[in-house]
Amino acid sequence: MKILIVEDEKELADSIGAYLSDENYLCEFAYTYNDALEKIELYQYDCILLDIMLPGGNGIKILEEMKSMKKDEGVIIISAKNSLEDKVMGLQIGADDYLSKPFHLSELAARVYSVIRRKNFDNLNIIEQNELKIDLPAKTVLVNNQEVVLTKKEFDLLLYFISNKNKVISKSALAQHISGDIADMFDNYDFIYAHIKNLKKKLSDAGYGNYLKTLYGTGYKWNI
Amino acid sequence: MEHMKHLMNLTIKKIIVYAGIVLVCSIPAYYLVISLIWQFEMNEHNIVLTDEAARHDRYVIITAVTALTSLFFIFLLGGSILLNRSVSRRLWQPFYESLAKIRNFDLTSRQQVIFDQTNIFEFAELNVSLEKLISGNISAYNQQKEFTDNASHELQTPLAIVQSKLELLLQNSSLTDAQYNSIEDALHALARVSRINKNLLILAKIENSQFIEKERIDFSALLHETVTLFKNYSDNKKIELQLNIIHGKMVEGNKILIEILINNLITNAIRHSSDHKKIIIKLTNDHLVIKNEGISPLQAEQLFNRFATATSENPGTGLGLALVKQISARYNWKPGYHFDHGFHVFSIEF
Repeated sequence: MKILIVEDEKELADSIGAYLSDENYLCEFAYTYNDALEKIELYQYDCILLDIMLPGGNGIKILEEMKSMKKDEGVIIISAKNSLEDKVMGLQIGADDYLSKPFHLSELAARVYSVIRRKNFDNLNIIEQNELKIDLPAKTVLVNNQEVVLTKKEFDLLLYFISNKNKVISKSALAQHISGDIADMFDNYDFIYAHIKNLKKKLSDAGYGNYLKTLYGTGYKWNI
Repeated sequence: MEHMKHLMNLTIKKIIVYAGIVLVCSIPAYYLVISLIWQFEMNEHNIVLTDEAARHDRYVIITAVTALTSLFFIFLLGGSILLNRSVSRRLWQPFYESLAKIRNFDLTSRQQVIFDQTNIFEFAELNVSLEKLISGNISAYNQQKEFTDNASHELQTPLAIVQSKLELLLQNSSLTDAQYNSIEDALHALARVSRINKNLLILAKIENSQFIEKERIDFSALLHETVTLFKNYSDNKKIELQLNIIHGKMVEGNKILIEILINNLITNAIRHSSDHKKIIIKLTNDHLVIKNEGISPLQAEQLFNRFATATSENPGTGLGLALVKQISARYNWKPGYHFDHGFHVFSIEF
């Protein structure tokens, strides 16, 4: 999978690249408006991360250009502006998702994962991992061909872990993923443990190996 | 305010008192002069009055003089009141006009006040000074607002960089527990900075008269939704929620702002409640009341100001209630706080 990171802050682009790059993702970078446009014209990507304020032009313009080029890569806008108008406009012009800075890298990874899956509909909407099988459109989970019934939150968490496999995820990132902006209004993330405990129990009861590890007391890692 | 006086009454009162004193003093003078003339005429014509007749005449003279003086005093009084009214009104009119303009001046609207021309030197000077003062205020206010807006925007990117670097650090396989926890703590504090920053941005935007889109909003439904959304957190603290919400309370407003208002009030109630306490949320047609149990009253005057966080052990952004105040002001609602029988009572009067 090829991902283009369009972001003029080199440090941030580097972090995103370092986090996402693994055996599945190959990241390329564009630091300016023209640079980005050129790369998009020349190559095919699976997902484009697009900053709005770029040297040389506006990210929204790039979206419009892509539309006229009939390119339909998945686009996630990453913007510091956090304004609703930008968000609405971006999504209307054809972006698939919008993430305002600052964001958790694990959250970004989850969004990238989901955008890529939505775009490549046919071959990727069923995730298989050892004895685990997830049917995304149907939202069902099978372990050894036995269905495991998960709540919406547990299903959501499972996908989050899988899209961040082999990465350490902090509890604050998890809390933010589950309850959005309201998460950091509170200092107590205890309710997350309950959801994760239930998820773990349901999966292991069905015979799925213990892939979800607790690290350092409060972090999590989906080891595969 | 009770001993305040109107400018117009001030001048006339002194004049009337002075006129009164002069007229009262004139009564014996008149009497003396008339008596002397009377006596002189009597002597000229060799008339001798009995003591009783003389006393009677004295009384007649005093009564007549007093009555006449009083009559003239009343004329003087009425005349000067009427005259003073019309003269003063004309004289002070530019002043009252300027006063009305200043009274209607609203800094947040950033409209420069234009005073009418006047040909009275002092008032012209007053108006020029006021104009200067007001335009100075407006530009200071603009600068402060732009600063908040720009500073918050500029902060977003470095915050994003710091956060991403910390999260990359978490991926390091040779971390000790202590190191991991330090990074988590740093991430946690960073989340708070981001939130303060976001709230400052929203405040700046409200003051910039953004969020103008309005729609009819089912306040009751939104309140129910928010309570459900926060259930994770209130359940976690074993808080007993007591809801008393009327159906179909509609308000006209911006959805984002109304959501922020409800969110902030309910978050505060949950955050500042101890375990196993009670929170009461009540919505009537003209009031929203949110009560949570507490020990001592908070400082009501400061509560709705920026960064007036009451306690340090449970720090928020210090901006939640400032946002509530701003949003209420936008819709002419009245936010309030009081402490009642062991409950902090926050209310919005629609």
